[in-house]
Amino acid sequence: MFGDFIQHLANGLILGAVVALPALGLTLIFSVLGFINFSIAAQMSVGAYAGWLVNSHLHWPLVPVLLVGFAAAGVVGVIGDRLALSPIRRRPSAHTALMVAIVSIALNLAIENGLRFGFGSDLNSFEFEIARDITIAGIRIGPQQLANLLIALCIAGLLSVFFTVTRVGKAMRAVADNPDLARLKGIDPRRLSDLATFIGMGLAGIGGALLAIDTTVDPSTGSRLLLIIFSASIVGGMTSLTGAVLGALLIGVVSEVALMAIPPVYQSATAFLMILLVLLFRPSGLFAGASGVRK
Amino acid sequence: MMNRRNFLGTQAALTLGMAQSVSWAQSGDAIRIGVLIPLTGATSQYGASMSKAAQQAAADVNAAGGVNGRKVEVVIEDDQSNPEAAVRAARKLIDVDKVVSIGGLYASSVTSAVAPLCWEGKVVLATASGADSITKLPHNGYIFRTSPTVTLQGTRIGNFGLELGCKRVFYMGPQTPFAQLFIDVVGGVFTKAGGYGSGLIYEDKKASYRSEVDQALKAKPDLIIVGGYVPDSTVLLKDLYRAGYEGKRIGLSYSINQKVADALPPAVTEGAYSLVQSPSVESGAYKKLLARASADSLDTFFCQVYDYVTMVALALANSPKAATNGTTVRDNIRNVTHQAAGSQLVDTPAEGLKALAANARINLDGASGPLEFAENGDAKNIVFRLRADPEGKDSRHQDRLSGPRRGH
Repeated sequence: MFGDFIQHLANGLILGAVVALPALGLTLIFSVLGFINFSIAAQMSVGAYAGWLVNSHLHWPLVPVLLVGFAAAGVVGVIGDRLALSPIRRRPSAHTALMVAIVSIALNLAIENGLRFGFGSDLNSFEFEIARDITIAGIRIGPQQLANLLIALCIAGLLSVFFTVTRVGKAMRAVADNPDLARLKGIDPRRLSDLATFIGMGLAGIGGALLAIDTTVDPSTGSRLLLIIFSASIVGGMTSLTGAVLGALLIGVVSEVALMAIPPVYQSATAFLMILLVLLFRPSGLFAGASGVRK
Repeated sequence: MMNRRNFLGTQAALTLGMAQSVSWAQSGDAIRIGVLIPLTGATSQYGASMSKAAQQAAADVNAAGGVNGRKVEVVIEDDQSNPEAAVRAARKLIDVDKVVSIGGLYASSVTSAVAPLCWEGKVVLATASGADSITKLPHNGYIFRTSPTVTLQGTRIGNFGLELGCKRVFYMGPQTPFAQLFIDVVGGVFTKAGGYGSGLIYEDKKASYRSEVDQALKAKPDLIIVGGYVPDSTVLLKDLYRAGYEGKRIGLSYSINQKVADALPPAVTEGAYSLVQSPSVESGAYKKLLARASADSLDTFFCQVYDYVTMVALALANSPKAATNGTTVRDNIRNVTHQAAGSQLVDTPAEGLKALAANARINLDGASGPLEFAENGDAKNIVFRLRADPEGKDSRHQDRLSGPRRGH
């Protein structure tokens, strides 16, 4: 029984690691720009396709593949933001945040269908060999999944350093905290919003590429996980980067451990339940006070 | 009392109405037959083949002079492997295109979603889905199934597993209208033979099935039946490989197929069996269709869609004076497909149309099967042949999945 629990815990951490990077991206964009960008799911697929192209055609190894996934999703993210979302943001009204979120859903569909048009609906795989799991003290762990977890934690750490140490990072935090005051201090919010979108979508791109290495590359690679990514951001507090990572890991662990008691077919109900409980009892998120963009 | 002005107005309206009906007849006024198939999405592996079959059948019917002097037109819609999209497409086929029937439907969830629209709209539904629950719906005779039921499929697959020498079976598949029945039927076959059978139903949109695999391996199976569609089966097969599972794996053609083999490294799919439902390869209908389609072989879903369009066309031709609608199709399908005293066996649309024009009674034999239907609409006397393609014979994916065949 205890062994089962530990195994489910490990499986949950592995699932959470896959979700953590896109959740970080979603949180970063919300913190700086003040809206939820649902096109993050399609950007995961963009990152997956970009990584797959250089891996299957040019045989590039993991780290360059992830960098290409980051850059491609970041660039497509900024272009999508400039074309579809920025014009709506420039006309502030009481419903701007909601309208931008809805347009981002449309943007998500447009990008996903663009990928479908360009690459078809077929499933594609990376050239990386699939490693057999290793067993440590009776617990089965996948080397690739373990690498995913470490990569996600490293990137979260790097981001944390970026926001606390660098000048640009501090400027982004200033914009997130009070855009008008930041503008008075000579910070250009538009340039910073581009940077936040680039980094946020780039993180989604890396997450998409890592997810696709585990699963497959297809236009819906990202959208399959959108709900759980959204849940992770909400549980994490929407403005806290550490919270996003912890939220993702928590969602992963809870949904996997729940399988000890409920049939697998109801697993996503746990994510819904967590959103409900968090919004009811701690609307600002479980980790809202943790370090992040605004804190 | 009608005055001159009213009389002239009425005459003008009548003349306009007649002119309109004449122009409709002159413009062809084709009989529309709906085809709702998965061209995209998780179950799309046979979509293109089904589309070709529908066009070929319409071309063959039209080459033989059409139905009751009218051309036949197939209206093909993509169900996107998704019940919601399928319902929208079916609404369009029924309300806008005014089709007499909808056929081809592949996934059981799609058929179950579309079925009420069909019987409410008095449109015939011909399905290639297996879930037994479909024909248990209150469909008033509008549903016909050209495929074997899940009970038949599960029994055959269970027996195949026993033939492979397996003792403990475990089914893993997503939530579908047939998943639980599959577990019960296959489990029943193994239990009856002194073995063990169980299974679990999972969510289809997951990044990993590690916990589900752990749960399955606890049952110590020597045979795992992979019951999902392409995206989830791909992830499941990877996780089974990672977990070091060494037993046998069997999947039907919607679970393990060329698309799955192409998407995975050879080591992951090596030794997995893909069970492909076979058409009626010994029948005259199949052989003649093969020649007309200029193909080496045809899959069962091509044959089922071809047979569906032929069957509908002949049903309408059997009752030329009746209204051209779904009810006429429903009422005449058995009249042209079942054996009766003095009925003439036909196996192409041209033969059928010619015989009907000569007032003969016909019994259409299909390339997919005998085309006989029980009262609930299920295919009768259908032989569920399986073609098992063991892998690992060649390093190329193409050859591995289309390698040596075992007839069943």
